[in-house]
Amino acid sequence: MLTTVVGSYPKIPNRPRPARLRAAIARFDRGEIGEDELRRVEDEVTIEVIQEQVEAGIDIVSDGQIRWEDDQTYFARRIGGFTIDGLIRYFDTNTYYRQPVVTGAVQWREPIAVNDYRFAAAHSSRPVKTLVTGPYTMAALSANEHYGSFGELVLALARELRQEVLALEKAGVPLIQVSEPAILKRKEDFPLFRQALEQMMEGVAVEAHLYTWFGDIEGLFPQILDLPFSTIGLDFVMGPANYEIISRAPFAKKLGLGIVDARNTRLETVEQIVERIRRVSDVVPLDGIYVNPSSRLEYLPREVAEAKLKRMVEGVRRAQEVLG
Amino acid sequence: MSEGLLTTTVGSFPKPEYLTRARSQFSLGKISREELAALERQAIAEVIRLQEEVGLDILVHGEMERGDMVAYFAELLSESMAIGGLVRSYGNRYYRKPIIIGKLHWQGPMAVEMWRYAQGLTDKPVKGMLTGPYTMVDWSFDEYYDSRREAVLDMARVIHQEAVELEKAGARYIQVDEPAASTRPEEMELVAQGLAVVTEGLKAKTITHMCYGDFASVFDQIVRLPIDQLDIETANSGYDLLELFRRHRFDKEVALGVLDVHSHRVETLEEIKEGIRRGLEVLPPQRLYIDPDCGLKTRTWDEAAAKLRVMVQAVREVRRELGIED
Repeated sequence: MLTTVVGSYPKIPNRPRPARLRAAIARFDRGEIGEDELRRVEDEVTIEVIQEQVEAGIDIVSDGQIRWEDDQTYFARRIGGFTIDGLIRYFDTNTYYRQPVVTGAVQWREPIAVNDYRFAAAHSSRPVKTLVTGPYTMAALSANEHYGSFGELVLALARELRQEVLALEKAGVPLIQVSEPAILKRKEDFPLFRQALEQMMEGVAVEAHLYTWFGDIEGLFPQILDLPFSTIGLDFVMGPANYEIISRAPFAKKLGLGIVDARNTRLETVEQIVERIRRVSDVVPLDGIYVNPSSRLEYLPREVAEAKLKRMVEGVRRAQEVLG
Repeated sequence: MSEGLLTTTVGSFPKPEYLTRARSQFSLGKISREELAALERQAIAEVIRLQEEVGLDILVHGEMERGDMVAYFAELLSESMAIGGLVRSYGNRYYRKPIIIGKLHWQGPMAVEMWRYAQGLTDKPVKGMLTGPYTMVDWSFDEYYDSRREAVLDMARVIHQEAVELEKAGARYIQVDEPAASTRPEEMELVAQGLAVVTEGLKAKTITHMCYGDFASVFDQIVRLPIDQLDIETANSGYDLLELFRRHRFDKEVALGVLDVHSHRVETLEEIKEGIRRGLEVLPPQRLYIDPDCGLKTRTWDEAAAKLRVMVQAVREVRRELGIED
């Protein structure tokens, strides 16, 4: 059993620790520092949050997506064909992202996350996973003013994001997480979803995990197991039905077990974590489980996220003793 | 007051520069609570004066003493709520998200003092402004309750007590805002249960404001919400929500948003009159109130004033067309 994260580590700590990134962005916006200085602070904070994950005992870390404003615009600003519009709510959270608008043919131009991976890998003693927002979620959270149908946009994005996945593979990333929360909101689109992800991952050899959050996979199981990923990540906090759903058919993949609530500050107990692992251990062998938070960690204050990761690691160690 | 198309606002007004500065000085411990409160009163007086000068019918105090609508009440519910660490809301914006840490209970008046001060400055009615229980819970972490329902219903009892206090103080209009209701339409039943607890036995006119949302599938529940007036955001979505009122019987009053509060542009007289006429296609003027889409706090003082002036002018012209006296 390994521990990992689903991305987006909280960017700033609370007092007395200084909120360096927040201050640097504010100074950059006022024209007081240049882009080089802002990038330097992003680098420092990235190193700091990798270190926090390592110290918490996380086996596979991420760079925390410190440089990302949100999961969508990090890619949309760098893929041709998008403009960026006003703020819009991210699912049912009380957080917002800037909505990408597709105004022309989408086109991958150059590697987007490769340099970020290289930087993180050079500063981490643990393997670093790289996140790619999937074509379905990118399309669902954007406004389409160019393609004749939503499906055309999804497939076009799958084709372009494939270039990014291939670039990451070439750069030697050990693991890619493809984030697709939006499919849980429109499950009837599964045939399109499958077609897009199959195209995106065609001929890709690097290990890739598919992660969903904010709901359950009722209606998508077991066909979600056919998708070209070694691991399927599920949210068992906002989707408690997932416990029962995955028991309906042999789970022929590894499972990303999202059992630590990334949207509430209440700290799970070690016993709760052990119990949640035990509930799936009949369906998936322990060595086929990645234990992780239920979604992106940015909904929590930094110190709470850190405490939750530590508790999660503690719970996994206990579970290994009790269940292993 | 006129017999139809009464004008009002949703609640918040832009904070004057001196108050924003004073709030940050207070948080750094550089000025006292009393010094800050004096400036809050000064700002409330300016908000009341502006609304009278513009000619609005039902006033607000402008929420000058509130940073955000959830944290303000959470700080005063200090025995059951705490203010947590910073959470990013978007871009480089962060806020301190409250945490429910114990059984929610009313500890004393929270909104009465500033309401009473504002009402003392004008002969026009001033609305008592409260944050609804669903929104209070949804925009907080919860480390105490096992279910959202329990938390919302306990919070509703707290907000109900505050509404009773406002009514005792003389408030004739009590607004209980539920902007979070639109994020999860499937929980509209819980929103309604919370509001039922809040408004039970009140004689004041009760109002709830909701942000724009996908209300089509839950409109039968919205029709039955236990409030007298529904305040909705309509201008920035091309008034498409009005279609629902055409299709369903709706006996309550509606406050129709005719100003896009997210736009710097001041609406034209014709645009607003057109919006009012669209409202009149589905509701009689006696049940149709006219206001901005949402709180005005994100606009500048001058933008807010300019938008409200055109709104009042548009209402006067439509009233004249309908033969309603100002």
